[in-house]
Amino acid sequence: MTESSQNIKHLYWRAGFGLHAEEWATRKSWTIPQALDQLFEAAANDRMLSTRIEKATVMDEDFRKLSNEKKKALMQQSRKNIRVLRAEWVKRMGDPNRSALLEKMCLFWHGHFACTTKMAQLALRQVQSIRKHALGNFRDFVKAIARDASMIRFLNNQQNRKRKPNENFARELMELFTIGRGHYSEQDIKEAARAFTGWSSNLKGEFVFRSRQHDFGQKTFLGRTGNFDGDDIIDRLLEEKQTARFICQKIYRYFVNDQLNDQHVEDLAHHFYQSDYDIGGLMRYLFLQDWFYDPVNQGCRIKSPAELIAGMIRSLKITIKEEKALVFLQKALGQSLFDPPNVAGWPGGRQWIDNSTLLIRLNLANSLIAGQEFKFRAKDEFEAQQRGRALRKLDASVDMTPIVAQFERENLRQSFQELTDYLIVPQLPLSKDFFDPYTIKTERAAYIKTLCIRLMSLPEYQLC
Amino acid sequence: MKRRNFLKASALASSAWMIPSFLRSQSLAGSPNGKTLVVVQLSGGNDGLNTIVPYRNDIYHRSRPRLAISAKDVLKVDDQMGFHPAFESLRPLYDQGLMSIVNSVGYPNPDRSHFRSMDIWHTASNSDEYWSSGWLGRYLDSQCKGCLDPHHALEVDDGLSLALKGKQRQGFAMSNVQSLKRTTDNRFLQAVSRQLSTQQQEEHNVAYLYKTLIDTQESAGYLYEQSKMHRSKVTYPKTSFAKDLKQIAELMTADSTVKVYYVSLTGFDTHVNQQRQQARLLQQYAEGMAAFVKDLSQNKLLDDTLIMTFSEFGRRVQQNASNGTDHGTANNLFLMGGKLKKAGFFNTAPDLSRLDKGDLIYQIDFRDIYTSILDKWLGQDSERILGRNFAGIDIV
Repeated sequence: MTESSQNIKHLYWRAGFGLHAEEWATRKSWTIPQALDQLFEAAANDRMLSTRIEKATVMDEDFRKLSNEKKKALMQQSRKNIRVLRAEWVKRMGDPNRSALLEKMCLFWHGHFACTTKMAQLALRQVQSIRKHALGNFRDFVKAIARDASMIRFLNNQQNRKRKPNENFARELMELFTIGRGHYSEQDIKEAARAFTGWSSNLKGEFVFRSRQHDFGQKTFLGRTGNFDGDDIIDRLLEEKQTARFICQKIYRYFVNDQLNDQHVEDLAHHFYQSDYDIGGLMRYLFLQDWFYDPVNQGCRIKSPAELIAGMIRSLKITIKEEKALVFLQKALGQSLFDPPNVAGWPGGRQWIDNSTLLIRLNLANSLIAGQEFKFRAKDEFEAQQRGRALRKLDASVDMTPIVAQFERENLRQSFQELTDYLIVPQLPLSKDFFDPYTIKTERAAYIKTLCIRLMSLPEYQLC
Repeated sequence: MKRRNFLKASALASSAWMIPSFLRSQSLAGSPNGKTLVVVQLSGGNDGLNTIVPYRNDIYHRSRPRLAISAKDVLKVDDQMGFHPAFESLRPLYDQGLMSIVNSVGYPNPDRSHFRSMDIWHTASNSDEYWSSGWLGRYLDSQCKGCLDPHHALEVDDGLSLALKGKQRQGFAMSNVQSLKRTTDNRFLQAVSRQLSTQQQEEHNVAYLYKTLIDTQESAGYLYEQSKMHRSKVTYPKTSFAKDLKQIAELMTADSTVKVYYVSLTGFDTHVNQQRQQARLLQQYAEGMAAFVKDLSQNKLLDDTLIMTFSEFGRRVQQNASNGTDHGTANNLFLMGGKLKKAGFFNTAPDLSRLDKGDLIYQIDFRDIYTSILDKWLGQDSERILGRNFAGIDIV
């Protein structure tokens, strides 16, 4: 494979979830600027969420006025709808007709502004907000998140009132969302919390400013004094270049390498700060850097569960019939969307891997493509009244025709080489001979199918 | 280079971490001090006040007009305290000095969310900190490189809990040794792990994945062999919780190298019609534990075993309108074993006249208990593992 095709593969894995076989056939000879134009154009043109998701999450009634039974029923429905959202989102990531870059950015920001939501109508609003700003301006983004009902509830800003401020949101805003630890004092947190008093929400998910609970008095924050409100606090935080640096470190770890390169991060931060926090501009800049394509930065990231599942769905156009299976897989692999472990998000990297998740990962292709038994009992919700049942089958269907059409060659060795180039990102030290005992060689189509399963069962396939 | 040569090469490069257990020195296999810890998690927030009952307390009865357990139903332990009737099979253990009840265990600024509070118990963080590694995982981290296998901390479950995930090392999850063996017997994956790549640097993630795969295959093989060595002679109840305990007892009796076992019982979130639900679960717990302790005792293992049972929080003192209880704070914690420093009640019953917005106020930080377990029982430096210095309490 040429170096330039290798770079295209790298770009599409990092900026998205890999390519479908037909896309790969045409795009592997593209230049990087060509590919970037495609990625950013698709992101700009991607429409909002499906009606299925939107319908599932409407709430017209006034929750407080409902009877207890109705409330309970509604909460149950809501939990079900969250599961729909969870499954639908992974499907979108894997859908070649959707913008992979946009979904990837949304996944990144979902882990950054990490938030657990139990009410579907609030989750939907947050998703819409994240989609709107994922490639937009970071300043607008933070201000939207500070007004987001799910976040307000998750970080107790509902309880942040003039007479008894709650510091939770203010603390995480600084520690995790913008400037990072060590660049503010405990007093700054107290003052910032005052500026966010009265920033509340209603059950429809709309932002509500309760002026009677807001502290209009003077605050001293990061060395300045004034009648600051929440927006002023955010502006002040973004005035510090450290915020650009903090975000760029996170972006570097996510899109480039777990191991930071200070010089590259500083370069990104400078660019981000100069552009007044233009996220789309930052990403395009990053994907154009030579060091982004340095071999040390290729094939070194452990795919997150969402990336792994979406990548398989996308590469092979897999249809998973039951929503339950997608929800279940996320849980078993340790990344349930809308339910991060805490406000710090998923730690990622090697933390995805233990003996249980690794065996599921390495057997996933077998279960999805060959229908092999899949047996796993997920940990129960804390609210569960008894032990849940194990999931025994991932009911999926795969149409192998396009893959076979793309990779059918005169000799199997050629098919092997091209399929490996397509599916595996890091170097693969295993030759065709190694796979021979575990593939069907009597028929070309069967060879391609069995080889696909084997390649996707390798530790190397876990990396991108 | 073939894997074997690679292993030699890497060992020469003074890095023993890739070497499978059967090649490793046996000196540290097994317990340096022969002690085993078993952690039992009651998920959902067990109502401690209706488990260990202050049956003479007026506030208790006033707060729980429909839920309080009356003096005539309670299993009286002394003139103040008694057990839930479902604890009948634990009574002999208590009488023989094999059980200790620690009251009012919790932490400062308690969180009433299941998820968050369990997180705090698993990581041992403060309630305003977010840590991504667990205390038992960091216990694994603290061991010397290469002398510990992942299965030295074993959770009987399909998935691994945060408590057993370290910064560098992870514990091992397995709900059933036979089905684990079937999964790892996959011929293709075995061939793959034999072809370990040498082109990647050890610190590369691909090497980490291979190492985890090899460890998993070896641990599966080891545990499978161990599980065949001993069949329990004790009759266990037919619940899945008891089955998990039986599996643990059989591994312990086979003298396996596992140091820490972890097992859970789910369903304690009793907001509605608590009585039947809690009674059913406490009976499962009590009967399972009674059989387990009997098994260990028959195999002369009890003196080297410490069993800790906890829940993420207790429940509010006041019952709710649905004959249940809502999320609370401090709770009791049970220790079992043959070498308890203070059998019976470790400390006094919670003070129901002094509450924080209707919730019990904690008297003992759970990390003081972790500290004593790590320092005194597992022989490790607790401060390094917990990241802070706690005084500990005199339990073992």
